[in-house]
Amino acid sequence: MSDAITVIAAPPFATIQDLGRVGFRDSGVPVSGLADPESGLLLNAILGNDPNAAMIEWAVGGGALRFDCAAKIAVGGAESILRINGVNADPWLPIVVASGDEVKIERIVRGRFVLIAVRGGIDVPVVLGSRSTLLSAGIGGLDGRRLRTGDQLSIGDHVVTPYDNIEYDKRGSRTNSGEPVTVIRGPQASFFDDAAWATFLNTEYLVSRASDRSGYRLDGVAISHSGSAALPSEPACVGAIQIPDGGTPIVIMHDGPTVGGYPKIAVIRDSCLSRFAQMATGDRVRFAVGSSGFDIA
Amino acid sequence: MAEFPIIQQLGDDALLVTFAHTISWDVGVRVRSAARRIRDTQLSSVTDVVPAYTTLAVYFDSRAVSFATVSSEVATLIGDADAASDDSSKLIEIPVRYDGPDLAEVAERTGLTQDELIEKHCSRTYRAYMTGFAPGFTYLGDLDETLVLPRRTSPRVRVPAGSVAIAGAQTAVYPLVTPGGWHLIGTTSMAMFDPARDPPSLVRAGDSVRFVRVDG
Repeated sequence: MSDAITVIAAPPFATIQDLGRVGFRDSGVPVSGLADPESGLLLNAILGNDPNAAMIEWAVGGGALRFDCAAKIAVGGAESILRINGVNADPWLPIVVASGDEVKIERIVRGRFVLIAVRGGIDVPVVLGSRSTLLSAGIGGLDGRRLRTGDQLSIGDHVVTPYDNIEYDKRGSRTNSGEPVTVIRGPQASFFDDAAWATFLNTEYLVSRASDRSGYRLDGVAISHSGSAALPSEPACVGAIQIPDGGTPIVIMHDGPTVGGYPKIAVIRDSCLSRFAQMATGDRVRFAVGSSGFDIA
Repeated sequence: MAEFPIIQQLGDDALLVTFAHTISWDVGVRVRSAARRIRDTQLSSVTDVVPAYTTLAVYFDSRAVSFATVSSEVATLIGDADAASDDSSKLIEIPVRYDGPDLAEVAERTGLTQDELIEKHCSRTYRAYMTGFAPGFTYLGDLDETLVLPRRTSPRVRVPAGSVAIAGAQTAVYPLVTPGGWHLIGTTSMAMFDPARDPPSLVRAGDSVRFVRVDG
């Protein structure tokens, strides 16, 4: 299919992502994929897309796209000011755009990643089973890199439902309710004594500026671990909360390393991961230990 | 302390099996043998099996299968006492130009001439302990004792792809441009990570590696 979307003003950071790349962690390849898959799945449902259809994950600032063909889009994830040809538009709804229309994200109001989905998905080559961009390896997405002004994107045919038959759960945007992020105890939970755990659970952490798709650093009260710090590097996972020697947590995110040697005090539960991933610099987060994961409904 | 191996939950979608707390080659052989058995059994909804130094992780789709189910299947598989099998190891030869920016400093700190240093680095067949840190980055050991140095005090922000490096008792090739704190002693043009290859990492845990000096 021909080029259909032109990036006329790229934001500081935008990449193409789908639900991620599994099966290659033993080659050191992180899973990548949408940081907020919950929103991505909802947008794909709104458009009748395959759940794994790729979309634009847009961060840090404003910018604009021009559609060079008619298309149906939906925007969600972080709260933003969205304008189509200068007119305000709503998130979480299908929007019909005509050739020549300009879709502008004026700015991000709350949250980290705005998702722009197109009916049919963004058509980029599949690399190691996924269209997700992994910048560190220069693979996936558009030439393995972030979007730049002037880039052209093709629309795919990754649809599963005729447009007129789409039904979806109109739950709209999740708001960051301020509820604690639920975790389970990590593999090195016992390295941390009661006082350290109390600090961990009673501290309101701030998401540091030094956060990206590889990991989020949290500022707050430092925690020390009682056990030996010498831990042979072991496999990690998205949402793992590591406590390095400095004592403030680093949470491994989707493009983060597949292995790590810092003790993992806890791991964020799947049900809270999208909400956590949407936290922007300066957002506040508290953690609470949730049920063990044995409670599969 | 529970007896090894210990199975723990690693998030909603993964479990971690610990075979020992201390790194050794023999532990690695057991880890990889168990990883192969789990992979070969093709447990449903398991997406990744990742061996490390003393542990392995099994990742699964928690919407389709519970931790309890995967955990008991894995426990049965690894409980098979005499099933440890040797690595089906590849020997990979990596051509190296010994032109790294830290070569002279490493020679000086180890009290070797550059030729002696290169000779020592090339003289061993290394074993691959673990792949991780970055796509295609594989930790190789053990270095000749005379080459053992702590990491650089200030890591480089940008290590060039193909850099051959040493730190502690280990050596490795940086497959991609990444930050890094190891001493860079040479360069290879061999692609350590190639997304068009399956598996994409040239060297994987259990393999053997020799470095071969080339000129130019």
